[in-house]
Amino acid sequence: MEKINNVIKKAVSRRSFLAGAGTAAAASFIAGCSDSSPSTPTPPVTPPGTTITDADILNFALNLEYLEAEFYLRAATGNGLSSTDAGSSAGSVTGGTQVNFSSTALAQYANEIAQDELNHVRFLRSAITSAGATPVSRPAIDFTNAFSALAIAAGVVSAGGTFNPFSSTNAFLIGAFVFEDVGVTAYSGAAPLISDKKILSAAAGIQAVEAYHAAEIRTLLVGLAAASNDQTYVDYANKVSALRGTLGGGNETTLSVNSIVAADTTNAIGFARSTDQVLHIVYAAGAGVQTKGGFFPAGLNGKITATAS
Amino acid sequence: MATQETRQLDSIISSRRTMLALGGAAIAGLAFAPKAEAQAAVTDNDILNFALNLEYLEAQFYSLAVSGVTIDKLMTPIPTSVNGGTGGTVTLKPSFAPVPFKMPTIASYAAETTIEEGKHVKFLQGALGTAAVSMPNIDLYNSFNALASGAGIGPAFDPFASDATFLIGAYIFEDVGVTAYHGAAGLISDKTKILPAAVGIHAVEAYHAGLVRTSINALDAGTGALNGLTQKISAFRAKLANPSGTPIDDVGITTTSVALNGSSSNYPATTIVNADSNTIGFSRSTTQILAIVTGGSSSNQGVFFPSGLNGTIK
Repeated sequence: MEKINNVIKKAVSRRSFLAGAGTAAAASFIAGCSDSSPSTPTPPVTPPGTTITDADILNFALNLEYLEAEFYLRAATGNGLSSTDAGSSAGSVTGGTQVNFSSTALAQYANEIAQDELNHVRFLRSAITSAGATPVSRPAIDFTNAFSALAIAAGVVSAGGTFNPFSSTNAFLIGAFVFEDVGVTAYSGAAPLISDKKILSAAAGIQAVEAYHAAEIRTLLVGLAAASNDQTYVDYANKVSALRGTLGGGNETTLSVNSIVAADTTNAIGFARSTDQVLHIVYAAGAGVQTKGGFFPAGLNGKITATAS
Repeated sequence: MATQETRQLDSIISSRRTMLALGGAAIAGLAFAPKAEAQAAVTDNDILNFALNLEYLEAQFYSLAVSGVTIDKLMTPIPTSVNGGTGGTVTLKPSFAPVPFKMPTIASYAAETTIEEGKHVKFLQGALGTAAVSMPNIDLYNSFNALASGAGIGPAFDPFASDATFLIGAYIFEDVGVTAYHGAAGLISDKTKILPAAVGIHAVEAYHAGLVRTSINALDAGTGALNGLTQKISAFRAKLANPSGTPIDDVGITTTSVALNGSSSNYPATTIVNADSNTIGFSRSTTQILAIVTGGSSSNQGVFFPSGLNGTIK
């Protein structure tokens, strides 16, 4: 009986997480942290057929890793994932060319992250198979229109303008900035919902790596700005951050030399986002039911593909 | 007098030790153990107190580096004596002075990290309430010398001497914090409140580690002087955590070669991220963390915590 109750509790908490209540739960903990009694309002009963498994969550993450891997691999080499890594029914990728990095050091940072994200794609595909499920193939990915639209919406370029993150080192760092903090919040939101201890540990391990990456990108943006006494790209990053906050339920910290870490200002705890909030950002689409757009013109593959609201 | 009660306590302690040594996997098995044994499991409060000890250490290091005072002497003081306990002392070198920062960016990073680690202390004290432990004795002088010696860096190391040595001092702590929270995540029972908070702090420790490692690599500027130190520290941490020599769960900063989407390793790449061959961050058990912060002491007393940690996990 206790086991059944736990299963129900887990299903219910997963459902509230998917609906965007994950951060609310964390916030209520922060507000009344010594309160250990369950005070969450009774959520709606999960309808049959909507159970979210660990493999569904991993497949959601896999979509995001495809996006990151394609971005960095193209920036580093001019080419994306091999057909083996992209899956048997991979969607097409639009845009992305090799970046002419301004220094060897910067190229080496990009190479490292590209290999890391490729490793995440390979690891998740293998972990999903091990969990008895099928890894989704790479969905269609767009870099050309998505970055320009995002830059216009953020106010980085004016209406009708374009933004190409592959055009320079600084532009590349802005492109990387778009993804990394989102990756951190996505894994932070997903980790507590995972049932299997091994999978939870792997998710937490990838979450840490995304945070290393995010800090690396944020430190480089601030460091280059300080060295050149030019805050242009830090300002761009903060415009992107503001847009992510609008689309993804807040969860952003202004970047400056005094503030590298993205975390809540009260307790210095990293932000978590629900899958809904992450989808709104990567689809570059505001409130409402959204199924595609932005970086994923045909939507994500797998079970978690549409926003609830 | 070996009463039944003391025998039960022995059994509880022994099973707890085994579990801590085995890490998360043992916890799952514990759910099927008899009830008396199940009660022996570390509680979420035990884990949070373990984390609180580590946060006291980090907060004191950064506070002293930046402002020259301990956290209980800051303008907005953070208590080190809580719930009727008496906070320990912090051992510093004679004529201690804060880091004479020459690089404004490094000084800013240090100030930010001071604030964030202080918030972690306050957050954990608040989350634990009446269960929070006071700060144990902390050593920020002999500890670094002992570590430097153990790591083969030299007989002495002063992390408060310069921008560069400060970054190396920070390097010693941050990756350990990441692996500690990673390991702890698998032990936490409360998945709705405490686990999300632990996961969130885990991310912040990784942000700090990424910040520190990127800054060290930039300051190293290809000379290998600083990156070489990180490799020695990482190797020593791995040895303390894994006395048998394997696995090597720590990667220093270096330049390696990666294959990317090709078939041969033709691309030079930095190792800012501290992770395994699948690029999954490392996880350590509380036993392993204790070995690192106490320098492999069999009594878990030494190096940064000369009198050991406070709380149940020590």
